[in-house]
Amino acid sequence: MTASFKLTKAANILLACLFAFVPVAPASVDDAQSFALQAAEPYVKEGFQVREDYWGGDLAAGEKKAVRQQLFKGNEYWFWLGSEIETAKVSVHVYDSDGKLVEQPDGWQKGHFAAAHVIPKNTGSYFVIVEIEKSPEERTHWALVYGFR
Amino acid sequence: MIQFARTCKLTVALLAALPLCAHAAEAPKHLDVKQLSRKVDDVVVPLPNEVFGALNKLGGVNWREYVRNDKGSNFTERPRIALLLGAVIADGFIAVQAEDAPTVKEIGQRVLALAKGIGVGNSITPHAKAITEAADKRNWTSVRQELDRTQNSVQQAMNEVHDEKLSQLVSLGGWLRGTEVLTAVVNKRYSEDGAELLHQPDLLSYFETRLQSMPEFNLKLLQDIHGALIEVRPLIDVGEAHISPASVKKINEITTRLGDAITKKSP
Repeated sequence: MTASFKLTKAANILLACLFAFVPVAPASVDDAQSFALQAAEPYVKEGFQVREDYWGGDLAAGEKKAVRQQLFKGNEYWFWLGSEIETAKVSVHVYDSDGKLVEQPDGWQKGHFAAAHVIPKNTGSYFVIVEIEKSPEERTHWALVYGFR
Repeated sequence: MIQFARTCKLTVALLAALPLCAHAAEAPKHLDVKQLSRKVDDVVVPLPNEVFGALNKLGGVNWREYVRNDKGSNFTERPRIALLLGAVIADGFIAVQAEDAPTVKEIGQRVLALAKGIGVGNSITPHAKAITEAADKRNWTSVRQELDRTQNSVQQAMNEVHDEKLSQLVSLGGWLRGTEVLTAVVNKRYSEDGAELLHQPDLLSYFETRLQSMPEFNLKLLQDIHGALIEVRPLIDVGEAHISPASVKKINEITTRLGDAITKKSP
């Protein structure tokens, strides 16, 4: 028992040493996407179909990115933004082609997650604006997914 | 393992509670779109079922009328296969709207064959299987999800081998077939709301630009599609006005002609 414990302890120390020298894989947009999808998960139960396609990239703190999106009147949309930097603060907002804010009041923002809800009054192009408001990193990965019903 | 499951459950519970405890920061009520237009990413091409869903809410669509069982010709040119692949995936969404399980299963196999023809079959095999299984169970939500995954996997596989242009042709094929069916439905029973679903000028510009950047394909069909998009533009880019019944009919004629050209070998 003692020998076995010692062996296990030695193995653990060896493993810890090995892991200490294994380079940590750099975070990627895919990591950010998994957080965006986590934010979307509760809405799937409400009948939203979450698209497989997504947008992503990296931004500096205070930087914004605009994404153009075709929306159809009659559908209801949620956009979910996520980042893998847990101390980052992100936001997402949706504007129509005239630049008018069109989202519903139940959009939300919580640290590295944010969401915007849109029930379009017209079919056409809309602008989805994503922003990294704060982040300890020089560049912060982000990913935006959307769902509709 | 139990600890992991607990952590997962806790994460999901916390995420579900996020909207209750989080509030959106005050966003500006207006943005300068002209300044923004120079910095935006390309438009994202919607799935055909996004527009079908909106159309369905207007009521009275007999989707069975629009189900297409014709397998289409076998092509060797990769751009033609890509266009057809997009159109067949769109047919899958139509068959789902019609809740036609045998056709959905056939389409799953057809998509697999086309994907193999273009060299990305491996990425599709699990999705084709999942489509068949979900169609057997008549789980239409899963079939829709798998069709979306199929298209996404095909396009990702193409992008990975720098075949982005073929990937764009998959989107174009799907969009054309979706527009053909949308206009057929609205043409049959016109409503201003139905016709408004055609208001997609940015998508039209997107496809026009993409087609212009594919001279190497040197395919008459692509030139015909480009010409047709230019023909469609004034019919849908009407600003605040309504898209007329005559315009809907005209767009249906154009997209039906293109749909035939995509599926059939020219004599």
